[in-house]
Amino acid sequence: MTKIILIGSPNSGKSLLFNKLTGLHQKVANFPGITVDVATGTVPQLPGVTLIDFPGTYSLQPISGEERLATSYFNAALTDPDVNLVLCLIDITRLEKSLYFTLQVIRECNRHGKQVLVLANMMDVLARHKIEVDLSGLARQIKAPVIPISARTGLGLDALVKRIEHNRTNPKDRSHAEFVDISDEVLRKHAHRLSSAYGPRGDLLIKTQTKLDRFFLHSILGGFAFFAIMYLLFQSIFTWAAPAMDAVESLLSILSDLVVPAIGNQTVRDFTADAIFSGIGAFLVFVPQIFVLTFVIGLLEDSGYMARAALICHKPLRLFGLTGKSFIPMLSGVACAIPGIYAARSIESPRKRLLTYMAIPLMPCSARLPVYTLLIAAFIPQTTALAGLVGVQGLAMFGMYFFGMLCGLLITGLVFHTNKNKFSDLPFVLEMPPYRVPAWGPLVRNSWNRSKHFVTKAGPIIFTVSVVIWVLGYFPNYGTDLGDSWLGQFGQFIEPLFAPLGIDWRYGVAILSSFLAREVFVGTLGTLFGIEGAEDNMVPLVEQIQSSGLSLGSGMALLVFFAIALMCVSTLAILTRERGSSKLAITMLAAYSIFAYLAAVLTYRLTLLIAG
Amino acid sequence: MKKNLWSLQAGDRGRITGFDEVLAEKYRIRLMELGFHPGEVVSCLQAPSFGTPKVYRVANTIFSIDDEVGIHIDVDLVVCRD
Repeated sequence: MTKIILIGSPNSGKSLLFNKLTGLHQKVANFPGITVDVATGTVPQLPGVTLIDFPGTYSLQPISGEERLATSYFNAALTDPDVNLVLCLIDITRLEKSLYFTLQVIRECNRHGKQVLVLANMMDVLARHKIEVDLSGLARQIKAPVIPISARTGLGLDALVKRIEHNRTNPKDRSHAEFVDISDEVLRKHAHRLSSAYGPRGDLLIKTQTKLDRFFLHSILGGFAFFAIMYLLFQSIFTWAAPAMDAVESLLSILSDLVVPAIGNQTVRDFTADAIFSGIGAFLVFVPQIFVLTFVIGLLEDSGYMARAALICHKPLRLFGLTGKSFIPMLSGVACAIPGIYAARSIESPRKRLLTYMAIPLMPCSARLPVYTLLIAAFIPQTTALAGLVGVQGLAMFGMYFFGMLCGLLITGLVFHTNKNKFSDLPFVLEMPPYRVPAWGPLVRNSWNRSKHFVTKAGPIIFTVSVVIWVLGYFPNYGTDLGDSWLGQFGQFIEPLFAPLGIDWRYGVAILSSFLAREVFVGTLGTLFGIEGAEDNMVPLVEQIQSSGLSLGSGMALLVFFAIALMCVSTLAILTRERGSSKLAITMLAAYSIFAYLAAVLTYRLTLLIAG
Repeated sequence: MKKNLWSLQAGDRGRITGFDEVLAEKYRIRLMELGFHPGEVVSCLQAPSFGTPKVYRVANTIFSIDDEVGIHIDVDLVVCRD
């Protein structure tokens, strides 16, 4: 097996090239630091070749977590006899930020006898602006072949594959032995000189960027644009996903009407209706919202706006001990905490990274979405305000998202100000990527994969919990009295714990089961109400909650509880892996649970006081 | 005129003369890796209010830098927007 390493500076298009060569769908986006882990794949045109994509780094002297990962893997690859070739990708439109790293890579490859090819990416951008660069001259100066390509359009990729094959079958065609004794400082000066001599000239490349930045980074208009974009993000979850959600609900209802009456055995019929259609079905209805959420976040990432949002948020986030770079992991956490925690690797400061870890589980992740949607739909009327411009349910959703983020900031702010002198701090420098028209195909594919992952990850858990809940709730009296079932007896035992929130044992059981994953709450309630309902037809869960006697105060308390509590086994596992210890994960689980409970009790009491 | 990078306003251009000693060496090196070499001319493209990081162009790359870094980069004013 021959291994080929793909390495380059952040946001130079490595993952896009990796996807083009392997046919895989590694996530790509338009801001630095999106690749924070190593990905491997095979190249169909090159049998027996494994391509390995490393996170981006500006140099072999790492500062951030993902740079440390890239350099440690690179150093290991240099001594790996299976590694045949190193592909070093440079963004030819911004040569000065790539060339020093490229020279370091060439030097290290020469020291270890590895072949290196330099790939000049984004040649399509230069062609569009009719800018020419002397790649042959550059190749002569850096003593390595430079191949023009465009990972976006596929330009030069066939030639690249042929060149890789040539290098693989001609091992005598080794790299030159230049630079092996040259220090980093000399290389840096050399790179600076070469980028001035061979980099593209003119302002064409950044004219559009500057014009758009004048609006998006304007002191006042930029702030309005930021809030408008964030509001649209949350409103779209309701408005764009609604038709697909209705379709899924109708489809499940039709399937239920067809399947359930055809089952002869009463117990199997009850199981199918309650555990399958009510339990799993209640959760599947929310999948379109996950798709829309991931799509809109991907749109912001790919367009280049995300880095601007990070810049706008930097100063306010700094008050809470965070950085503008925390914004990207935190917004990723709105889709799912796990990629958010991985994305936090790009934050150089250990303290800010730790605080970002603490904030991410409080971001309103997609697993909270079904819970919020369900409770909002049960308690907030489906009306509009401001002459029909604003949907009240969407506004409530925005409020819940805002509340989660505010809790995250308050907690990190509290930790930051009580431990201010405990850690060293690192400054803020962020590359502003150019604005781009999003690549729609990968965007849709990524949203689809995310939705699929959501179903396949949460589905088995929800199915297992639904079966357990159904068995405990159905027996020993075969569904005739849920209150007298095994589950009912257990639920009534724990009911006093949840009485201060004004909820009965059914909601208590649903909360406890959702400590595995938040979305289990919806499936558990679906199963419980399914057992309780005498009819075989599916009744929307919202209607069942409305008729269950749950008060407004309890609904608000549940919303607050779910906004704060850390109820996700996967998040705890990833936090433990990233930190190398379970201390932070266990502390956060305990602290957030207690905080969530107390805040929920307070919310219940306050709502009772205000609404009566 | 001697200034630091953070004091540049949108439209100003400055030539980097060096870094002050307060900035840790690894950050000085990283800034140079990104193109902020002594002798290089840097343009300030955006200077939003409320202490938001400013946006600078060096060669063909654009970076945002906050005051914690910008005040440690010494520049000579080359072109003033006024």
